[in-house]
Amino acid sequence: MVIKRYTKMEYGSPDEMVFGESKYPVSYGLGQVVGAGVVVPEINFAPRPGAEKNPESLRREYVDYITKDILDRAVTLGFPTVQLENEHIFQMVNEPQKYAKPVVAGQKELMQKYYDEYNIALSIRHTLADPRLAEEGLRPGMDKKHNYPEKCIQSIEVAAENGADLLSIESTGGKEMADYAILRQDIRGWLFGVGYLGSIDMAWLWPQIVDIAKKNKVRAGGDTNCAGANTSMFLAGGYLDRDIPRTFAAITRAIASARTLVAWECGATGPDKDCGYEGPIVKAIAGKPTSQEGKDSHCAHADLMGNLIAQTCDMWSNESVEYHPEFGGSSVQCWLGSIGYEAALMNTAKQLKQDKLLRDLYMATDRYRSPEAFILAYDNAYKIGQAITEYGNDIYMRAKAAGITAARLIEDENKTGKLRLSKHEQDMLRKIITDLAALPDEESKFLDQCLKAYKDVPMFNPRNYDL
Amino acid sequence: MLDLKSVNFDRILRRYDIQVESKESPEDLAARMVPKDPTLKKVAEDVVFMRYKTVNDDVTAALREYSPEDVIEQGLIKGMDVVGELYGRGIYYLPHVMVAADAMDKGVKLCESKIRGVRETRGKVVMHVAEGDPHDIGKNIAAVLLKSNGYTVVDMGRDVAISDVVTTVEHEKPQMVTGTALMTTTMSAFPKIAERLQEKNINIPFICAGGAVNRAYVESYPLGVFAAKAIQGPILANKVIEGFDWRKLRENWDKLTAVKE
Repeated sequence: MVIKRYTKMEYGSPDEMVFGESKYPVSYGLGQVVGAGVVVPEINFAPRPGAEKNPESLRREYVDYITKDILDRAVTLGFPTVQLENEHIFQMVNEPQKYAKPVVAGQKELMQKYYDEYNIALSIRHTLADPRLAEEGLRPGMDKKHNYPEKCIQSIEVAAENGADLLSIESTGGKEMADYAILRQDIRGWLFGVGYLGSIDMAWLWPQIVDIAKKNKVRAGGDTNCAGANTSMFLAGGYLDRDIPRTFAAITRAIASARTLVAWECGATGPDKDCGYEGPIVKAIAGKPTSQEGKDSHCAHADLMGNLIAQTCDMWSNESVEYHPEFGGSSVQCWLGSIGYEAALMNTAKQLKQDKLLRDLYMATDRYRSPEAFILAYDNAYKIGQAITEYGNDIYMRAKAAGITAARLIEDENKTGKLRLSKHEQDMLRKIITDLAALPDEESKFLDQCLKAYKDVPMFNPRNYDL
Repeated sequence: MLDLKSVNFDRILRRYDIQVESKESPEDLAARMVPKDPTLKKVAEDVVFMRYKTVNDDVTAALREYSPEDVIEQGLIKGMDVVGELYGRGIYYLPHVMVAADAMDKGVKLCESKIRGVRETRGKVVMHVAEGDPHDIGKNIAAVLLKSNGYTVVDMGRDVAISDVVTTVEHEKPQMVTGTALMTTTMSAFPKIAERLQEKNINIPFICAGGAVNRAYVESYPLGVFAAKAIQGPILANKVIEGFDWRKLRENWDKLTAVKE
């Protein structure tokens, strides 16, 4: 499959971008249309511990409890459209025929009933866990212990064949390097891990997902750098946390966007996955719809851009919540209420032609809350997108350009504006700029440098990336 | 885009991190805490200031005057104590700790090569990530912190089968075992491990942590003791060495973990 790299922006200016609209809307599932003028709530969930005891207990948890609760509440509250997201647990990937198939088929059967009875637009995203272990081997034939690369692809096929409408994955290529680098504040290592190795791994993985989607007449959504940039974001945390500086997390997010784009370059259509906070950047480049999460995903984790990240979303998600009872019903029902009403607010703004005002209000509340929020504000996200497309055909240079552009944006705003940085955040920013500026402009030189510098990093095996 | 010039952002958010930013420098704190002896001071400062390149030379110099055990205890681990203090006060961040630990590790290896037999450490900890779970960054951080506090770590890696954990604990005879998991459906291995250990009459504390793991869950099975953050690993381990069993750790958990959140 030919990978079509993005070398120009699909949006002509940042102001063209707004929630609920994308350049390339996508239709799928049971009457679902995304990116064509309506923000769709996307509800995600996790089974209770022990539900995985056997295939029937897992099916009952996912279908009879979770899916039914969601569909009942969606109709109860009058939501015209809902997407479910099922992030597959380990057992579903390890033994897909036994554990995943009954769940996937059961969910779809129930959704069809509600669609037939109420005409509510419904769809389900199946997000496959990436179980591959770098130390065992990321490619078929390498992992003799678990056969995870083979099982990973097999589980995608099982989902596509049995009821998935949209396929996604949180792929983990380059994570061993990124984890090593993040704990040493080594931006070169992180760029190598996610910007370079991650992009190579996705270029191997995503053509296969796109082929499976086409064969089964479903959609290939997109990837997310949950394993990398979200690890940075969570470690950076909030104002009481001191694990890694938020300036480092912000730059990793920018670099990650150059990698996340690869799924779409391989033919995936979107919507991209909710936990990819790099969504505003990749949407600015490619014009494909994205799902985002923020204030209504605090059931799963905190972030410092709860409102801002809604600014250009096409779907609005809760990230994930463990199924359990709350006063207002089950947890999935309660969080569906939150995301559904937020989507209703956005959709009302669209009807009243006030969507760009609401977009700017979302953006303004968090623009200066953290450097990561600042670079994801849609005007800055657009500039990072431009830096990526300038070097669109070079996976190394575009990731480097994304990082440098983000660093400069933060540096300039810290000097002149309202984005205040702690001393350590400033020190780290200066180091990042120095380190990135010192990198070569040729991919081959960068690769030679990194293969030498990181040869002893635990679990790193160049063969995983055909290097 | 809306013009944001008129917005008073102090009415929207407050930067508590900048408000409480420490004015103390690492140099100030190190000056108070490192050993006075100039040779050991150099070794400790190599760790505190992450001087990976000079640590070998300074340790070699110290070994001319002190035993390898003393260089480790009075130089390298003292330096790491300062690093821990800087981290606890919010002056150092986690990567400082990791890089300092790399420097310490380099020095320890050099010292160990001069020791006849096996160096006695504070204790032994077996660590693993639950079966089916590839998320190991938290375990890796905790392993570094435990090692830098003088513990021997048997790191079993990630996606480890229940039976392998039990066999390794039987074989290694550690004072403590740890398990981490990100997902609700992988952490369910923990009670099974606890049950199997008890069947073999092994009653050591089983420290459990990770994204989806919570205190109530961990305290629902025997041996389980919750850790909210990696930095709590050495705090709990030190108490185990003092003689706390899993019940006593649970009883005193709030007090113990309030030291460094």
